[in-house]
Amino acid sequence: MSKIVILGAGISGHVAAAHLRRELSKEHEVLVVSPNSNYQWIPSNIWVGIGRMKSKQILFPLAPLYKKKGIGFKQAKAISFHPEGDTIEQKAYVLAEYVVGDNKGQQEKVTYDYLINATGPKLNFEATEGLIPGTNKTYSVCTYTHADHAWEGLKALIQEMKKGKKAKILIGTGHAKSTCQGAAFEYILNVEKELHKHNVRDMAEITWIANEHKLGDFGMDGMLLSYGSMTMKSSEMVEMIFEDRDIKWIIGAGVNKIEDGVAHYENLEGEYKTETYDFAMLIPSFSGHGFKAYDKKANDITDKLFKGFMIVDADYTPKPYEEWSVKDWPETYQNPTYKNIFAPGIAFAPPHAISKPRKSKNGTDISPAPPRTGMPSGITAKLVADNIIDTIKNGKESLHHKGSMGNMGAACIASAGYGMTQGSGVSITTYPIVPDYEKYPKTQGRQLGKTFGEIGLAGHWLKLALHYAFIYKAKMRPFWWLIPE
Amino acid sequence: MTQRISKYQRFKMMNPIIQLFKFIYLSIKIMLVVAGGHGGTRKVN
Repeated sequence: MSKIVILGAGISGHVAAAHLRRELSKEHEVLVVSPNSNYQWIPSNIWVGIGRMKSKQILFPLAPLYKKKGIGFKQAKAISFHPEGDTIEQKAYVLAEYVVGDNKGQQEKVTYDYLINATGPKLNFEATEGLIPGTNKTYSVCTYTHADHAWEGLKALIQEMKKGKKAKILIGTGHAKSTCQGAAFEYILNVEKELHKHNVRDMAEITWIANEHKLGDFGMDGMLLSYGSMTMKSSEMVEMIFEDRDIKWIIGAGVNKIEDGVAHYENLEGEYKTETYDFAMLIPSFSGHGFKAYDKKANDITDKLFKGFMIVDADYTPKPYEEWSVKDWPETYQNPTYKNIFAPGIAFAPPHAISKPRKSKNGTDISPAPPRTGMPSGITAKLVADNIIDTIKNGKESLHHKGSMGNMGAACIASAGYGMTQGSGVSITTYPIVPDYEKYPKTQGRQLGKTFGEIGLAGHWLKLALHYAFIYKAKMRPFWWLIPE
Repeated sequence: MTQRISKYQRFKMMNPIIQLFKFIYLSIKIMLVVAGGHGGTRKVN
């Protein structure tokens, strides 16, 4: 009998738990430890943030589902990792602290045979002074509660605009090293569309602010993509959309301080500037959770497990951008020191960024961190689950399932406006996610045809279809496993 | 405001009938890209 503990119940943790439970017999224990009581389909937060969906439409409680499916669940947060156990507990364990109920504040040693760390990122709002969702007129759409607040703020501003107020809206990244530009890109287009719906578009000046050195970088070094019969750069595509929507942009900007209605930033030229606003949605930087790890004798071994995020089978040798290789990226997400620990999704430490690192003339790093969206999170979680299943069934370590982001496609269906007949979406696929300049030297490291973009109503339908399909899958309804990650 | 997308392009982008076919086409194409397999990069699988 084996016990598999999964930390986190986001896309990655939930996918791993669902596949493990489906494939393993009941003698094996699958246990999820997460401080969150709900599963949320994060990509639809955008629509919560414009009031087109209620947060209850994008979430469901985990405990009843896990009970029904035979998956253990502890609503607790991980505190520290003990992969060798300690002098009292012989088995490897994670120290977890309950966050609700009668046990709140109590700590427990959660032992495991296999550990999947799917804790995702910490939303590091503290890294930017004054960037606190719901204060200083800044908001976030990173969680459903943040998105609810964002809609309240936007709704109030729309009411003021209806009374004649001219408003400035600022959307983008809230730190020099933020990632997830795609979410901000979706939100700015949706907000623009909603202002039209409320007949106040002409009362608003909308500005994009981002740490990208070019529009459409998305933390992926930009893309060369097929667009209809043409081949265009992602920067050209986004510029076309922004100009068409009358959205201004500030790029190469590292936001470093937020005051009430004022964003302070430094640009790549080394200039310190400010931008005023009446409503802002700024994505924070992501960081690891600051977990500590200890060996059997309670010596600190954090550096064997963590490098901010969790260390896996990547090549972390520091090297200049010109020497970065697609082979640096992990394939199995297994920790090299403790082979029964895995970190799929956003929990693993990337070997380096994807976009070329850039510094301002003052030496400040201003460039996007590498994004890891829902699709690779799901795919990497499934392959980790598959390897653990094979290992348990075969009785020896099996790592046949591999999935490097340098040999994996991803789709980004970016909503550009809500509505069954008036909606729009920007559908972008990229293959591979991490550019492979050896394989595709003439097309910016990616395969044309498999890397393409489309704009139109179908994109909105597609995003809506994915919303319903993935919530169906997450609820583990009949034949859920037929829906790919 | 700079109109970068022509009226004809916009018509094609928003026409429900054209977009229905586009929806089917995109669904299949995205499925092929995303579910078309993945693997390592250090050895040829």
